[in-house]
This record gives sequence, structure tokens and C-alpha cells, in this order.
Amino acid sequence: MSLTKISLLSTVKKQYRYKLKAYVQVFMTLVFLQLLAILFTLNGVGMAGSSSEWVEVDVHYYSADIVVFFTMMWGFITAILITTKAYRNDDFVFITNRLSSNLSNLLFLLTASIIGGLTALLSTYLIKVIVYFFVGQLTIDSTNVVSAPVELLLGIVAATFYIILFSALGYFVGTLVQIHKAFVVLVPALFFGSLFLGAVSGYEKTVTNILGFIFTEPSILLFIFKIIVVAGMLFSGAFVISNRLEVKQ
Amino acid sequence: MTVIECRGLTKDYGRNRALNGLTIKIEENKITGLIGRNGAGKTTLLKIIAGHIKETAGEIKVFSERPFNNLTVSANVIFIHDQMNLPTALNLMEILEAASSFYENWDQALANRLFDYFSFNPLQQYNGLSKGMKSTFHTILGLSARCPLTLLDEPTTGMDAAVRKDFYRALLKDYLAYPRSIIISSHHLNEIEDLLEDILLMKDGKEHLHLPAADFKEWAIGIQGKTGLVHEWTKEREILHTKSMGPDQSYVVVRNDLLEHELQKARATGIDFSPVTPSDLCVYLTSKSKGGIDDVFNKD
Repeated sequence: MSLTKISLLSTVKKQYRYKLKAYVQVFMTLVFLQLLAILFTLNGVGMAGSSSEWVEVDVHYYSADIVVFFTMMWGFITAILITTKAYRNDDFVFITNRLSSNLSNLLFLLTASIIGGLTALLSTYLIKVIVYFFVGQLTIDSTNVVSAPVELLLGIVAATFYIILFSALGYFVGTLVQIHKAFVVLVPALFFGSLFLGAVSGYEKTVTNILGFIFTEPSILLFIFKIIVVAGMLFSGAFVISNRLEVKQ
Repeated sequence: MTVIECRGLTKDYGRNRALNGLTIKIEENKITGLIGRNGAGKTTLLKIIAGHIKETAGEIKVFSERPFNNLTVSANVIFIHDQMNLPTALNLMEILEAASSFYENWDQALANRLFDYFSFNPLQQYNGLSKGMKSTFHTILGLSARCPLTLLDEPTTGMDAAVRKDFYRALLKDYLAYPRSIIISSHHLNEIEDLLEDILLMKDGKEHLHLPAADFKEWAIGIQGKTGLVHEWTKEREILHTKSMGPDQSYVVVRNDLLEHELQKARATGIDFSPVTPSDLCVYLTSKSKGGIDDVFNKD
């Protein structure tokens, strides 16, 4: 029987197509989480009120913030999930090497992030409809696609990139855990430790600066650039450390 | 062409040495039986060949390439074992479709026929299958993929006798139609010995014997007769196994290097010779100590 020669690109393509089908549960989780987030949103994400003797005014703000936040968490957890043994070893049933497996995971996470960002932002309209019909009261200010198409698009892009960042973080953390179980404890310890110790030892400025570097960037292009660099570093880090990982049952 | 070549292959799991300087060569288009006791290193060897794990020392070449992290090796090898991780989100038919999208030589018609023959339900989930059904499903994957190198690690675990028989027959028929290199590890050597061209016997992480199956059948001979006579006969030879067959009767297995006139002379004195089946021979060759389980209970 003659040997089959196969290129990395075609393997990655096959694996990507296969993963979209095999990891479908990930998207079911997304739907569930976003519905849950919408439920929490219906209480209003912000509130202001004033009253005088005769008039009482309550202003509720509704937005997709909670949905976006939940979707970011979903991206993080999904990325960790697909680095676990059960998912990683799936690849080794068929044709793969570590690089093609990682690359197809990357493509899958990018796709998932886009779908997550899109649905999260579009949930605004679902929230509006639900508020209009079931929560009642008077809607004073509301944007719509026709009046602000660019804002919606920017929102989708920004949300997508946030989710990409979180899934890159998740993928890196998940891969670390696959290298050694000790990271299950070390990574959260490092994270919370830096928050608390940062505050105690006067380094809180550093911690907030690191977070602010990404979360308070006013220019969308610069923001995208920063995320691509950071996520790229996290993904390449994960690729390098997982390249020597063995298949364990 | 040589499909697999190892030199001094060693694999450590922590402090435990699973493979210890294994040196073998496996030629193309042969069915090789990988035989050995539990813990002899069979699965470890197959995992290294499939590129799942990395050797600690020594050298291994599969299709003249190092298998770890190698796409060419992965494309040409299918490794079937009982702990395969198949995607839980797909039903059985979708798993076959996924496999067909990966393997270039995949024979969907064969897969469908086997699928129907073993009466699988296309919509069933893999996790709902019984142990034997899982094994059967794995072997469908293994046969239909038609990979130049097919590794079957205990493929018959949990299968009932009828399915095992069917599987051996299917394997042989498909092999004759599409010759390829197959390595099959099994504890049921008596069931597969007719399939095998080569037998590779492993012991303590090393190759112990690597012979054509036909030679293996004649490699040793059993001698039975009066204890005194048998001892007289075997004292100069390498004894593989001894067993007491009742008062003053002994059964001894030795290397089969007796000459014809020796045999005739021995028969005249009342000694019986009998062939040793490969599966018995493997048990004798790989036994960890002299004697058998009986000796555990004989305190005197």
C-alpha cells in the first residue's frame, strides 16, 4: 500500500470542519448562558431615581453588558475545555500532530468568538423587545440599527476581540494545567494573589495599569492591535508548551 | 520495505521502565502478532509507533520517519485500542463520516456493510455502546481506514466468541484484498495464530522472540514419559517448562533441536513427543518464575 502524503494546511482544514461539528455542545452552552444573562439584565443594569412630593422618577438602564460579560466567561471556559484530555485526545483518533491540533483549535476559538460577539450584541434587540412587552413602562431612549449602524458594528467587533482575548487566556491556562496539575492551584493563586497583594503592598497602580492597558483603550484600531498581540503571545505560548505533550489515557 | 525499525528503544514512565532497549524490524505487508504478558510493554510500543508518546531513549523509525508529532506517520497509521476517545457529540454514523473525511483510503462501502452486519444503529451515541460493541465499532474504523500500517491493540476486548470469529475473518479477507502491514496484540494467541505471519514475543520491555509463525510452531517440543527417563533426556538441554503428570510421569518442554535418529531412539524407550502450541509456548517463555501457580499452593 502506498503512503499518503498530507499537508499541514489540509489537515488543519479537515480538523476545523470536524471540530465545528463535534464541539457543537459549546454553542448550546452559549445559548443557555446568554439567555440566563438576558434574564439577569431584565432587572436593569443601572438605575437612577429621584422623587419630589408629587412626582417619582425611576430610570432603568438596559444594555447587553451582562450578556457580553457572560460571553467572555464562556469564551474563557470553552478554551479551557478544549484543552482537556477528552477533547485533545479526540484529535488523536484521526490524523493529527500537535501543531495542526492547536491551529484548528485556534480557528475554532476565533469562530466561536465571532459567533459569541455577534449574538451578544444582537441580544440588545431581544432585551428591548422583552422590556417593551413584558417589563412595560416607557422607553425614552433607544438606539436602533438604522440610526447607528456603525456603533453596532463597533460593538460587535469590540465584543468579539474581548472574547478572543479571554479565550486565548483560557487556552493558555488550560494548556498549562495539561502540563502539570499543580497549575490548577497556582494560576488562580497568582491571579487573586496579585489582586490582594497588589492592593496591600502598594502595587495596585501596576495591576490597574496592566488591566487598563487593554480595557481603557479609546482607539478601536489600537485596541484591536493590542489584543492581537496579547492573544497571539498567549496562543503561541500554548503551542510551544503543548508541542511536547504526550497522549495519556 | 521496512515499515518499523527500532533500535534500543526505551520508555520510562516515572521510575517504571516500560520498554527496555527494544530492537526490532518489521517488514511491509505482514500481519504481526504482538504477544506478551500483562505489562510486557505491548501497548507502550504501539503508542510510540503511533506517535502518541515520545521515546525516552533509543531510536524508532516508522516509514523511515520519527513518529512523534509527525503528520505523515499519523496519516498512514491507524491505532485502534480500547480506550479510544471518540467525540461524544456525534452519533455513530457521523463518526464514520468524520473518519472518512480524514483518511484518504477510507472505504465507506465496507464501513457501511460492516456497520449493518454488526447491526449498529446509525443514530446511536458512542457512549451508549456496550464494551464489546465499542470494540466492534473500533475495528470497523480500523479496517475501513485501510491505512498502510494498522495497529490493533487488544481489538477483541469484550467481544463475544461469534463476533471475534467474524472479526478475524473480516480482517483476513480485507488484508488479502488490500495487503498492508498490520500489528495485532492479543491475549488469545490460539485464536489468531492462523492469521499471523510473524510473531513478536515481548518480555520485560524487550523483544524475546521474533519469528515467522510457522517456525514458532516448531520452535519447541514437549516430552512426556517416566520421570527418570525424561530427566536423562533433557539434562543437557534448555528446559522451558516442567510439569509433573502424576506418579513417576513428567512433561518437559525443550527447544526443538533434536535430530531424527535421537527421536527414534527415544520413542523406543517409551517417551512420547508432542508439538507445543504457540500459545502454550508463549506462556512458558514468558513465565516469570520456574514452576507454575500450583507451586504457590504447594507449601512443602
